[in-house]
Amino acid sequence: MTIETIILSILALPLLGALINGIFGKNLPKKIVGTIATVVMFASFGLAITAFSSLHEMKIVHLYQFINFESFHLNFSLQVDALSIWMTLIVTGVGSLIHLFSMGYMSHDKGYYKFFTYLNIFIFSMLILILGSNYFMLFFGWEGVGICSYLLIGFHFSDEKKGLLNSVAARKAFIMNRIGDLGLLIGLFLILAQFGTLEYRELAQMILVEGINPTTWMMFGITFCLFIGATGKSAQIPLFTWLPDAMAGPTPVSALIHAATMVTAGIFLVVRSNFLFELAPMTQDIMLYVGLATSLVAAFIAMRQNDIKKVLAYSTVSQLGFIFVSLGMGGYTAAIFHVTTHAFFKALLFLGSGSVIHAMSDEQDIRQMGGLKKYIPITHITFLIGTLAIAGFPFLSGFFSKDEILAHALHHNIIIYISLAFSALLTAIYMFRLYFVVFYGKFRGSDEVKHHLHESPLNMTLPLMVLAVLSVIGGVLNIPSLFGEGISHWMSHFLEHTTLGLSAVDPVHLSNGQTIMLMTSASILTIIALVVSYFIYVKKESVPVSDDKITGWVKLSANKLYLDEIYNFLFVKPIELISTFGHRFFEVAFLNKSIYGFANLVGKSGEIVRKWQSGIVSSYILWMVFGIVGLVLYIIIKK
Amino acid sequence: MELLIIPLVFALIACFLPKQSLKYVSIAGAVTSLVVALVHTLAYCGSSHYVSIFDPNHVTTFGLTFKMGYDGMSLFMVILTNTIIPLIVLSNFKSEIASNKKFVSMLFLMQFALIGVFTSMDGMMFYIFWEITLIPVFLIALWFGAEERKKILTKFFIYTFVGSLAMLLSLIALKSTASSFSHADLVAVQLTSQTAFWIMGGFFLAFAIKTPIFPFHTWQPDTYTVSPMVGTMLLSALMLKMALYGMVRWMIPLAPEAMESMVPIVVILSLIGIVYTAILAIKQADIKRIFAFASISHVGLIAAGIMVFTKDSVSASFLQMFNHSLVAVGLFLCAGILEQRLKTRNLYELGGIAKLAPKFGFWFAVIGFASVSVPFSSGFIGEFLLLKELYQYEWIIGVLAGTTLVFGAVYTLRAYQLSMFGAPKHESFIDLTWNEWIVFFVIGMLVLAIGLFPQVIFDFVGPSIDKLMESVELSKNIVE
Repeated sequence: MTIETIILSILALPLLGALINGIFGKNLPKKIVGTIATVVMFASFGLAITAFSSLHEMKIVHLYQFINFESFHLNFSLQVDALSIWMTLIVTGVGSLIHLFSMGYMSHDKGYYKFFTYLNIFIFSMLILILGSNYFMLFFGWEGVGICSYLLIGFHFSDEKKGLLNSVAARKAFIMNRIGDLGLLIGLFLILAQFGTLEYRELAQMILVEGINPTTWMMFGITFCLFIGATGKSAQIPLFTWLPDAMAGPTPVSALIHAATMVTAGIFLVVRSNFLFELAPMTQDIMLYVGLATSLVAAFIAMRQNDIKKVLAYSTVSQLGFIFVSLGMGGYTAAIFHVTTHAFFKALLFLGSGSVIHAMSDEQDIRQMGGLKKYIPITHITFLIGTLAIAGFPFLSGFFSKDEILAHALHHNIIIYISLAFSALLTAIYMFRLYFVVFYGKFRGSDEVKHHLHESPLNMTLPLMVLAVLSVIGGVLNIPSLFGEGISHWMSHFLEHTTLGLSAVDPVHLSNGQTIMLMTSASILTIIALVVSYFIYVKKESVPVSDDKITGWVKLSANKLYLDEIYNFLFVKPIELISTFGHRFFEVAFLNKSIYGFANLVGKSGEIVRKWQSGIVSSYILWMVFGIVGLVLYIIIKK
Repeated sequence: MELLIIPLVFALIACFLPKQSLKYVSIAGAVTSLVVALVHTLAYCGSSHYVSIFDPNHVTTFGLTFKMGYDGMSLFMVILTNTIIPLIVLSNFKSEIASNKKFVSMLFLMQFALIGVFTSMDGMMFYIFWEITLIPVFLIALWFGAEERKKILTKFFIYTFVGSLAMLLSLIALKSTASSFSHADLVAVQLTSQTAFWIMGGFFLAFAIKTPIFPFHTWQPDTYTVSPMVGTMLLSALMLKMALYGMVRWMIPLAPEAMESMVPIVVILSLIGIVYTAILAIKQADIKRIFAFASISHVGLIAAGIMVFTKDSVSASFLQMFNHSLVAVGLFLCAGILEQRLKTRNLYELGGIAKLAPKFGFWFAVIGFASVSVPFSSGFIGEFLLLKELYQYEWIIGVLAGTTLVFGAVYTLRAYQLSMFGAPKHESFIDLTWNEWIVFFVIGMLVLAIGLFPQVIFDFVGPSIDKLMESVELSKNIVE
């Protein structure tokens, strides 16, 4: 098979699955529906591996010309290089596992076939986003994943209790994303106006080879707009509040879309546009500080959330912020490295929480859980591995990928390093809190729930185990040079080799001493967090108190810094006011009145004229006499 | 010529046919027209030359030439008309209105007049056909509309009539220096920018009211709401396209000297309309009114695109016109289905219908997404290109107009969510009937096809737009 056929098949398979299930799924048994959707994913993943192993150079697969204007062209074409293939591997690989998991998780759901159709369409859109060879294709996929996200967050829209709430969350996600999309769109217009093309390859050619260097402000404008797009999709300040609400969707959706794949689209965008960002140091700084602030704020909020999925959601936001810090420092491969490991352990944690929720008869409040480790052992062990990985426990995947970013920070600025390390510490604390409160202590839920506690079936635990293994060994992909020059930084080299622009970025190399110092301090912090949490939540068995008894920073954290309320007050209410008052006063009262006034005027003047045409013959004769007299007078005077 | 005669014949014979056969005759007539238009299209495809369909080669003392014919742009509008009319017939296929001879006759009269508008190559003919279209729309709303219609329809009539009179004055003023009313003769007239401003202003008033462009829009939401579903469809999907087409074909070429002063005015008015009506739509409770405001917002973007008047922007405007017509029929069909089955248009009285009627829920979602121009839909391409052109005209206008992406999502999703999601508030809801399903399916497929292969449309109208732009440039240069 040529690389063209392979890439097209990778794209076509999920679409095919979606079409089959979308059209015939209603009348097929659930087993078959789920199998079709999952098999196409695994096939797609297999092909992605083939493409990966046969990748030697960048290739463009041109399909057709979408728009062919004299001033510019938009191509429907795909770009195969290290970055796109790597992302494809993550999306199809993690995607396959989550499809498999969903077969069990959604087995009682009525909308089973719809769910898998949406999931497959999502994968298709995501692949378009990743594999496209220009910003237009990216935007295409970008909007596409937004719709799938909308449909899947609001999947249980007709639920008696939560139906409307789910759909409100879905709408919020879509609209906040759209705000980001507008930024991205304007960025695209700027690129078109400046360079006349949206093809990555041509842009890289112009900037890297021909050395075209537009004004700093132009580059700032372009990259800033792209970054606004990224803040929407990748949930950064100020557009991140949709992501926690998006947890209203079924748990596999949270794992796939809102942890492992879609939310990394913004990061992908920046890495893809690295040669643009390298020319805009101002945007890089903004990105750095926005990322840092997001990372800290989200970690702070995660400290006192009591919904198992909300904790993980804020954790995702925080980790994404972490990655943006890396991007802001030019650490593109480090960012992709963390995206990869994060996809492993965050998907694992979400699926694990899904398994917990499944066992708990749909209860998500951790105050109702406790002591679950003996009831659901596999979930427990894998969840523990995920927790350790994200907390940065030595030699697990998260440890290496975080270290890579911390190394950049140390190289860049000591204050940023300290802030990032603090954020990492918070991560460890809230994750251990979550873990201990859920799995240790006594069971706190009702007896009925306790009676139903059960481990999930194999098709749900198998993905957990695979992801757990990946979370443990994922760090090998990009170990620091301390462990030997030959095997180190494999992923960085792989990405730099064929991804546009990346080879031009200087890698950060720390001395062995610095690396050891870095790793030791990170390990110590993690272990401190572990020990402290153990004492608070296991030894003293303290359980988070109910919402009305909290004060001070805890209250601030539990109420998410009141950000939703602030946004509501600042943006939503004013627009609604304009809408209501605009209609009441301007439309109905003013514009309409003036029109009716005009109409009345016409009517009035008609009334006056009408009096003259009264139909009474005698009055006509009278007027006639007047007329004749007048005429005669006129003639006499004129003479 | 058959393009015009077929609808006229059907409009006449509909008066003498028995009630039971009417709906079958109307679907046959609509499809015949469509097929004829497609035959013309296939024969024409790719060229830019002018095809005459009626030309007596005679100028009356009054200056009337009776010239009728088409180029790519006109033919495109004819196809649009002849695609939408069958969809409208099908949408109403099961309602009583479809067996009413008054309705069927007026529908075909409308089609006849619309095709007349799009193929007139004579200013006076254009005006006459333009005025004829008012009759069927007005009568349909009057005969079959909601109860409170009388006052609102009077407003509508006065509004559009004032606009038409302004256009008539402009035409007569132009004719006073031209040898006839034919398009070529009127284009050839050279004007000072002062006179050109007034002449373009007259046309603009007519087109701005019909489109409608802010602040001439206040007739529109009321009229859309009181008209029966078919009336609203005719108004939004077809009648307002006359105004947009008129801007491209008549207003700009006839007085291009006024472009410099008029373009900023119109673009800014359109921009205000785009944003303002989108915001108004956010809090409305009447679902039909939401779509009415949405229509103003969407059409404002097209009008602004036309006024920017680059080849790309005009091409994109034509694509977006087609898209808007399809989506408008879809949206008003959704509103109509809700109103007809539940006897209410109030969003707060609706809810959970997607569960009761999954097919309807699905297709409403498809149309809703098409309306917020998601990828794979024709609106995505249209809005992308139009916003890009506006952005290149003046960046801040592009950015502000872009907010329609956000607001559009807000009001569309709100309307969808309140009516379709949540726990059902009604016992039962009849799912789509076959005729409604066909309409949605056709709209969906067309939106998808154009969304994937937009170049087909650009290739079709492109050469004619080139020719038009050349002639405008030419007559501008002469004056300088």
